[in-house]
Order: sequence, then C-alpha cells, then structure tokens
Amino acid sequence: MAELSDKDIVKKIKNGEINYYSYIVKKYTASIYRYIERKLFKKNEVDDLVQNVFISFYKAIEKFNEERWIKPYLFQIVQNELKMYFRSYKKSLPLDERIIGEENQEESNIEDFKLLNSQEKGIFKHIIEGYSYEEIAKIFKKPINTIKSIVRRARLKVKKIY
Amino acid sequence: MKKLEDKIINKIYKIEVKKTIGQIIGEVLLIIIVTLSSVFIFSVIVEILNEQTSFDLFDFLRDDFETIRDNFLNNLLLFIRELPSILTPILIGLLLLLIWLLFISFKNSNKIKNKLVSFYKFWLK
Repeated sequence: MAELSDKDIVKKIKNGEINYYSYIVKKYTASIYRYIERKLFKKNEVDDLVQNVFISFYKAIEKFNEERWIKPYLFQIVQNELKMYFRSYKKSLPLDERIIGEENQEESNIEDFKLLNSQEKGIFKHIIEGYSYEEIAKIFKKPINTIKSIVRRARLKVKKIY
Repeated sequence: MKKLEDKIINKIYKIEVKKTIGQIIGEVLLIIIVTLSSVFIFSVIVEILNEQTSFDLFDFLRDDFETIRDNFLNNLLLFIRELPSILTPILIGLLLLLIWLLFISFKNSNKIKNKLVSFYKFWLK
C-alpha cells in the first residue's frame, strides 16, 4: 500500500473504493490536528474541526483534480473552517447599545475641539442629531448661507488640527 | 489520534452509505416509473391503432415480394400518419429517457459495486 501515491488513491476513491480514504485520513490527520490546535482557543473543538475538514474534502473529492496536491487543498479547507469558526465566535454588540455608544463618542469629540466656539459646537451637535441646514437656520435664526459658511469654516479649523 | 481517525472514517462511511442507498433507490425507482409509463402508453397506442384498424395496413406483407416492394413505403407513411399525435412523441421521449437512465446506471454500476464491497469490508471486518 505504501507504493500508492495520493493521485492513485484519489483515483481509486473516485472509482468507488472508499476504503482508500482511510489512507488519506491517516496520512494527514496529525499535521492538520497540530495546525488547528495551535490556532484554537478551545482545545475541545479541535476534533470537530478536523472532522469537518475531512468530510468537506470527501464531499469535494468527485470534483477534485487528482493532478493537484492533496495537502495544500486540505489546508485551504482548514483555513475556511477556521474562518467560519472565528466568525461564529465574533463578539457582537446589540444595535441599540452601539448607536448610543457612537453618539456619545461623537458628542465627546465635539466637546474636545477647543478651537470651535460655542455656536459652531451647537451647529455641529444639531448636524449629528440629523437636523437639516434649513432647520438649523431656523433654530439659530440665521440665513441658511450663513450656517453653511460657519460649518465650512469650522471644518477647515478641524482639518488644520488633524 | 487513532480514535479521531476512526471517528472520521466512521462518519465518512455513514455519509456514503446514505448517499449510495439514496442513489440506488432513486435510480431503480426512476427506471421502474419510466418503464411502467412507457408500457402503459404503448398499450394505449396499440389499443387506439386496433380501434382504427391501422394494423390492416400491413396485410400486404402476406403478398408476394413484388407487391411488398411497391407498397411498403406508402403503407408505412400512412401508418405513421395514423399514430396518435400526442402519445407517440411522449412514448419516444420516455424511451429515450429510459435508454439514458440505463446507460447512466450501467456506467455507474462498477462504482456502486466497489462502494458496496467497501461497505461490506468495513462493517463486517
């Protein structure tokens, strides 16, 4: 059996002799296991991932070109499995919390701009809150073009700092 | 590691057994359905032709060779014209499908045989 190359094994598996798949499993399990073990935080999930890799490869073997090397292909599957694994563990904030957080952050940023005067800060706060220039003009009792030029000047001030 | 390898191989066999059984049952069922439908439609066509006495068009075949040679093409075309216009193409389609299914099954038979041998070796070793 040792004389059989990966190419011959894949050919045999494609021909229905699935008992030959055990040779692929035995040949590559150790290296894949070690690789995944180094990447994962939860060691008890390594077995499942290794299992998924070999099942995915088996499902794809019909379309697999036997001229290609098996190992790089298997490691490509490993990468995909790891991506899916990490994606499933990605921490996510509830939408409301995130929005509140962002708003607070923007407000604090505006307060941090020492160069802006109180009027400019007030206009920016209203822009962040979603008011249009027309509405802001009504609130501040100024022409819309004045508001626009105040905003433009304030932006230039901020740009100079950053 | 040995335990994990055995687990993987076991899982692969389970997947393949399900797939192969599904494939065999599917193919056999399809062949049976297509064959039965073809037989049914064929019998209906024969019944219709009997009622139309279309088979009488071939009575000339009992005559001498000269008559057969002169009338064969004409009578054959007449007979074709008398075939039911809807059922005949359906029957031809079903027969073509049956031939294709049998060809596919014949082509896959070696692969399925090898798989069954592998299952036998794995489960009964």
